[in-house]
Amino acid sequence: MTATATAPLAGVAEVDIRIEDDASPIVRLIGRTLRDSARIGHTPETLQRSAGTVAIRSHDTPQAATIAFGPNGVDVSGGVVPEPDTTVTVDLNARFTPAADPTGDPDLARDVLQALTPPLPNWREAAQRFWDTARSLPGMPDVLIAVTEGPDGLEQAVIGAGSTQYLIAGDRDTLAGVFSGADDLLAVLFSGVLGIQGTLSQLSVMTGASWKVRYDV
Amino acid sequence: MYEPTRPATEADRPESATRAVRLEATNHEGCYLGKTVAPKKFAAGKDTGFAFADLLFGLDLGNLPVFGAVFPDWRGHLDDVYFRPDMSTLVEWQPGVESVIGDYWLKDGTPVPICPRNLVRRMVDRLASHGFTATVAVEIEATVFEESIHEARSRGYRDLTPLGGSAGTAYHLAKSRDWVDYMNAVADRLDEVGIAWEAWSDEDAAGQVELNLAPGDPVTVGDAWARARQIMREVAFERGHTVTFMAKPTAGYGQASHINLSLQRDSVNAFHAEDGPSETMLHAIGGLLATIDGNTSLVLPQITSYRRLVDLTGPPVTRTWGISNKTTAVRAVCGNPTLSRIEYRLPGADANLYLALAGVLAGIIGGIEQKIDPPEQIADMAWCLPPGLGVERLPDTITKAAAALDADPVLRELLGDEFVDFWIASRKWEWMQFHTAGGDPSAELSEWESARYFELP
Repeated sequence: MTATATAPLAGVAEVDIRIEDDASPIVRLIGRTLRDSARIGHTPETLQRSAGTVAIRSHDTPQAATIAFGPNGVDVSGGVVPEPDTTVTVDLNARFTPAADPTGDPDLARDVLQALTPPLPNWREAAQRFWDTARSLPGMPDVLIAVTEGPDGLEQAVIGAGSTQYLIAGDRDTLAGVFSGADDLLAVLFSGVLGIQGTLSQLSVMTGASWKVRYDV
Repeated sequence: MYEPTRPATEADRPESATRAVRLEATNHEGCYLGKTVAPKKFAAGKDTGFAFADLLFGLDLGNLPVFGAVFPDWRGHLDDVYFRPDMSTLVEWQPGVESVIGDYWLKDGTPVPICPRNLVRRMVDRLASHGFTATVAVEIEATVFEESIHEARSRGYRDLTPLGGSAGTAYHLAKSRDWVDYMNAVADRLDEVGIAWEAWSDEDAAGQVELNLAPGDPVTVGDAWARARQIMREVAFERGHTVTFMAKPTAGYGQASHINLSLQRDSVNAFHAEDGPSETMLHAIGGLLATIDGNTSLVLPQITSYRRLVDLTGPPVTRTWGISNKTTAVRAVCGNPTLSRIEYRLPGADANLYLALAGVLAGIIGGIEQKIDPPEQIADMAWCLPPGLGVERLPDTITKAAAALDADPVLRELLGDEFVDFWIASRKWEWMQFHTAGGDPSAELSEWESARYFELP
């Protein structure tokens, strides 16, 4: 485990959440999500467990990872260790929604699934964090405009300043999901619930930005 | 040196005999792409160029647009780039159909910076500025199967029957007739098209062949490589078989594409010295080893490429060189004024030879320009070395190699930031596709890889 990050666990002690060197997307996704949970103080009792191994499998691809809780923190690695305490099969493009009943320890499975589903931030906060994380990527537009339908009509957040802009429109949950990294931009775009306005090159850049917030790459 | 034996000109070939002209070039992945045009269209466009959508440099092997990074400035919304034929490559491919290789250019008349053939030409020119010319040769390894391409497709390119039987050993002469007939037919077609070849033989794995093309200048050998692979595919299809250049078509042996190279100055082999490697050769090796981590990304381009890197199985796994040592990454052949050369042993059969040559030449140029001394040569076996000896292992994943290329100042300067950034983005996309679209890193060879890499590049 060479990639490590200490996430300040809100209100309690810090927790080390480490991912292996040259980690795969699923490992990165799990590591980033658990760090988000730690950052906002979500499920601290689970993140501070001193034992337990959990296998996470994708329901539609061979992607798999293991979360190992220990006295020195949490390690996430690719593949599945022999005889994990529990195995959960999830839809990685649906925010870790279980796709089958877990095997093994059901309480541990429930706790980990909860840790992997931190509450989404407000769409405006998520857009701001997305911008702060990705604005330095080459080719990022100067201005990000997020548009959604509110109870009183259209609402928008305009972040940044300059001559080039990129517009993303969707409902609040969709925007929060994409901007927070809970959802993959391209997957959501292909599902038809997101509207975008910008150049093809900007879509490519925004895809990279989505990977950065989702997978930390 | 390879020279097309049929440099067709309009004077020696009546236009009426030609029904079509096929325009050909590789994209970055190494796919041999093009279109067939009518003779009148060809005559009208051969000087100005033929429009191709820039997507030929923007799609992955699964036909999806590659996203994840900013596009080069010249890429718009599926805008055009222009194929300009290199008329010195015009040959009769089959009766009534001519074939010509070319390069891609932008509207403003400058080369597409990521066009593989243009990149080789750029390195050749840079080398020439130091007074050197390069002579290169390439070994093409491929595996031939009994089944037709249609049958192979229906089986997901798996569980196929090696042509010539499953008794595997290199150089085996008593192969069954179908295997010999296939290679004889390939050799006949190479002769017809004017591609000089030196040898073909049985290779290690069942169904595997090796074809050695004649040495020549880098661009010409790149052209011969592209056409020879096309011929090997066409002949296989015609005979109801199939052939693949995957780095590892089965869970067994892999397939390489070793590059042999020497430099000449004033028609004299600059790598030769009476007492071993010349100073020029040492600097070339120094540059090659200094850039080998970054160049790994170019010569091992795909996910499957890295499955070859297993100690004791043939490919190099360490950043090493040695005289007459084929376990190292760079083998130096010394002592003969004609044969003294470098063998760069890392490329897989799935590498785009143009890009591999551009990267190798860039490493050599860097070594010569900066007078880079190589580390001490390895006299022992360069596989299975324990840690602590100061011998580094090569990047063993597509992501590690891309990171090494990103950080390589020599390759960035010589190949250009635009190409390097474009290539790294494309490898990141490939990595993401593998993991999120069905590839299995824990498998010896996953179905996703067979589907993606068997027919392409």
